[in-house]
Amino acid sequence: MLTLALPAWASASAPDAGALIASLGRPAPARTAFAEARFMAMLDRPLVVSGELAWLGGDRLQRTVTAPRDERVTIADGEVTQERAGKRPRSFSLRHAPQLQGLLESFVALLSGNAGQLGESFAIQRQDAAGHGWSLLLTPRDARVAKAVASIRIDGHGDEPRCMVMQEAGGDTAIDLLGPLAAKMPAAPTREGLESLCRAAP
Amino acid sequence: MPGGALSPRSGPGRARRTALLGLWLLALAILGMLVVHRLRISTDLRSFMPAPTTPDQRLLMDQVGDGPGSRLLLLAIEADCPSSAQAACPALPADQRDAMLAALSRGLAASLKKDDRYTQVLDGNFDLGALDSALLPYRYLLSPTLDTQPLDADYLSDQLQQRLDDLSSPAAVLLKDLLPRDPTLEVLKLAQRWSPPRQPQVRDGVWFSPRGEALLLVQTRAAGFDPDAQQRAVDGIRAAFARLPRQAEAKLTLSGPGYFSVVVNARTRDQADWIGRVSTVGFVLLLLLAYRSLPSLLLGALPVASAALAGLAALVLVYPEVHGITLAFGFTLLGVAQEYPIRLLSHRRAGEDAVASARGLWPLLLTAIASACIAYLAFYASGVNGLQQLAVFTITGLLAAGFATRYLLPHLLPARVRDVAAMRWLVRARALVDRLPRPRWVPLLVAAATVAMLAFAPGPFWQNNLAALTPLPQDLLLRDARLRDALGAPDVRYLLVIQASTEQGVLVRSEQLAPAVDALIEAKAVDAIELPSTYLPSEATQRARQAKLPDRSTLQAALDEAAEGLPFRKDLFAPFVDDVETARVAPLLTPGRFAQSPLGQRLAAMLVHRGDRWLGLATVSGVHDAAAIQAMAAKQGGDVRLLDLKSAAESLVAAYRLRILKALAAATVLLVLTITLSLRSVRRAWHVLAPMTLATFLVLAVERMAGIEISLFHLIALILAGGLGLHYALFFERDTGDPAEQRRTLHATLVCVASALLVFGMFAWASIPVLRAIGLTVSLGVAFHFCLSILMAPHVRRD
Repeated sequence: MLTLALPAWASASAPDAGALIASLGRPAPARTAFAEARFMAMLDRPLVVSGELAWLGGDRLQRTVTAPRDERVTIADGEVTQERAGKRPRSFSLRHAPQLQGLLESFVALLSGNAGQLGESFAIQRQDAAGHGWSLLLTPRDARVAKAVASIRIDGHGDEPRCMVMQEAGGDTAIDLLGPLAAKMPAAPTREGLESLCRAAP
Repeated sequence: MPGGALSPRSGPGRARRTALLGLWLLALAILGMLVVHRLRISTDLRSFMPAPTTPDQRLLMDQVGDGPGSRLLLLAIEADCPSSAQAACPALPADQRDAMLAALSRGLAASLKKDDRYTQVLDGNFDLGALDSALLPYRYLLSPTLDTQPLDADYLSDQLQQRLDDLSSPAAVLLKDLLPRDPTLEVLKLAQRWSPPRQPQVRDGVWFSPRGEALLLVQTRAAGFDPDAQQRAVDGIRAAFARLPRQAEAKLTLSGPGYFSVVVNARTRDQADWIGRVSTVGFVLLLLLAYRSLPSLLLGALPVASAALAGLAALVLVYPEVHGITLAFGFTLLGVAQEYPIRLLSHRRAGEDAVASARGLWPLLLTAIASACIAYLAFYASGVNGLQQLAVFTITGLLAAGFATRYLLPHLLPARVRDVAAMRWLVRARALVDRLPRPRWVPLLVAAATVAMLAFAPGPFWQNNLAALTPLPQDLLLRDARLRDALGAPDVRYLLVIQASTEQGVLVRSEQLAPAVDALIEAKAVDAIELPSTYLPSEATQRARQAKLPDRSTLQAALDEAAEGLPFRKDLFAPFVDDVETARVAPLLTPGRFAQSPLGQRLAAMLVHRGDRWLGLATVSGVHDAAAIQAMAAKQGGDVRLLDLKSAAESLVAAYRLRILKALAAATVLLVLTITLSLRSVRRAWHVLAPMTLATFLVLAVERMAGIEISLFHLIALILAGGLGLHYALFFERDTGDPAEQRRTLHATLVCVASALLVFGMFAWASIPVLRAIGLTVSLGVAFHFCLSILMAPHVRRD
């Protein structure tokens, strides 16, 4: 077959991705465990946090961190509110954080299974791997978001997203392990180790 | 003599006339060139306000123009689809609408920040650029952190741990770039300190009002009551808005003192121009109808043209700048000068040489001119720069018109004239006037009615509110109150004034005041008071903070200890160490140095040098209990007080009025003397002055009965009407015993009354209260003066 002979990314097409995204939809509120490793130029080693991500419906997303320290971040109505034990809540506009906006849009669109909405914010490319594995590569359409976020990649298997890799334009990377995979975050993660974890079959 | 005048002019006479006319026009042209060359028009409304006498009043005048409150423009952007483009912009869902408005707000703020007409632009967007890079090290001297917290290893360790938490949270994106230079986030603490005290709701990163408009605050460099400069500032904002994408789907509205001055100025100018044009046409038609001679009309305009140019020339020679309002009112008041040629034209007899007519008329005309000049002298005595200019302009103009009518015009007028005394309608009119019953009790009755009306009129007698003279449409005021409330913008009525002998003294007192101010806010007496020391601490405080900054090696050691075990890259915080070292040895930040940044401009507006003292002006927002603030100020030992700009303004107006009334009293005494001396009879002077006085009070009484509160402009208009009324009384009183001459007097007076009613009657219909006050008062005055002069004229009673 001709299509199989083409490079994998090029074989992606909108209807394909659309069907996949539709199958990922969950009714709100949808919750999933996560563990995030953040690789930053100003740090010698990655920062690791873990907790729960929740889509509360609409444009509302909640990120609850339980380790190493409790923190809850709520994104709602264009505002980001950060709450920490013993501190006054701090809020700022989503406008100042295009990375968050990218995260919010991709996450909400995925959890609501709304391919059309996702396609408005991102150019979508789909790559299928062996078995039921797949990857969606999202490239921001909004120039302002693109200035901060080079790309977001979501790896999954069947109708389960397993990883979310956000490549920031400055070179910093955040890799989120989702669902059951979150428990497998190593104590001292490396980029390569996490990448292979994401792409491995469950 | 009649025969000689009737014959056509001889050749040499014609040449003389042409030469005279040429010389006159040449003189006018030279005056005109002088005026064009030297005239500088100012538009600062303050030169038309009374001169301040108390310190509060002086501060009021400064604040009205230059204070931080008066330079503030409030902007609102709301979604608004023009009906013509309804199809192109269907109603948006709320979030998309907010996003569009927020984008417009940010776009507008970005372009205004680049424009030096504006010293501060706030849209709710969190702005680190407010403190420019060169001043950034000063954050350690400006922020209160060091007062309680040394930059030691313990503190830094805690801060670095917190930053690490921040980096793993979504807030990381905000801090990442800041971190190497500012790990303790002093810049954010300052940004919070300098945000407006009571913030509106923030959506999509910008301020929104409860009804869904995006809000901005813009401080102009131009003074608030300089309408031309404010016009440029407003135009700049509108132009910047018009360049934004999608602006067609939204509407920008402005508010604030500066914008209001633009609106009032434009509205007043529009109406005055329109009325001026219509009444000029009417005036020309009236004169054509009255004299049926185009040469008479054209030549009759020359004394008035001379008056205008001579008045202007005097102004440009005496004053460096001429106020726009002086010119507008001045040309109106020069309407009196048109009486002089009208008198000459009406009083010409068939066959009499114009020079002889002028000579016969001159004693009376001279009395009229002198009286009018004396009345206008009252303007000069008012002590208000704008009114003094008005006096110089009108007095010079009246003298020029009078002497031109006596010594130049008669030599030019055509020899052949139509004697108005022969007009049939005038004969009938004079007969009618003569038949009018003139019981002696009429003046007594009018006087009694006047006293009764003045006694029983409703409401306060005087209008003390300056704003009532140039009021704004109610909807503009309501919108201003609404936006001011939504933005938490400072109240324009109150200011907390701190007084000291030096600039630093003000800052020290301001710092000492902070706890008392916080207590007031705590007690809900006021929403916020923004002290000068919020922006810049005193040198003493800065020096104390500087002394607490560690030197380079101490800081480096503390930082190394704090970063131990944390994943921060080595030398990441070198910019921080550099900044602290810079702050430690830098010269202290003075208001002058600070003024180079936008925030320093904000501070500069709060520090005023007045004589040998400095004043700090703290803006006050949301006053709930003025008495509590006053009580707090009273406890501070005399150098702090709450200034109520409204009551200062009212006391200013009352003082102003007292001066005008005193000047009027003096002018009245002079007037009585002048008339008595020139008529050489107390009895005749009484016949001239009695109807004039009675008519003046009758106008006042009628206006009071109509519920009108008397303002300064009513007083000025009464003086003008009095000047006109004096002419009528003087001419009616003149006992010539010649019925034809009496008819000519009636004709001249009728033309004068009709032309005054035409011009000022139009003003009476204006919607601008200042114009209406003048128009109504002069129209009523002219009518009453005319009627009472006829009814109380002495000679007809002999019948």
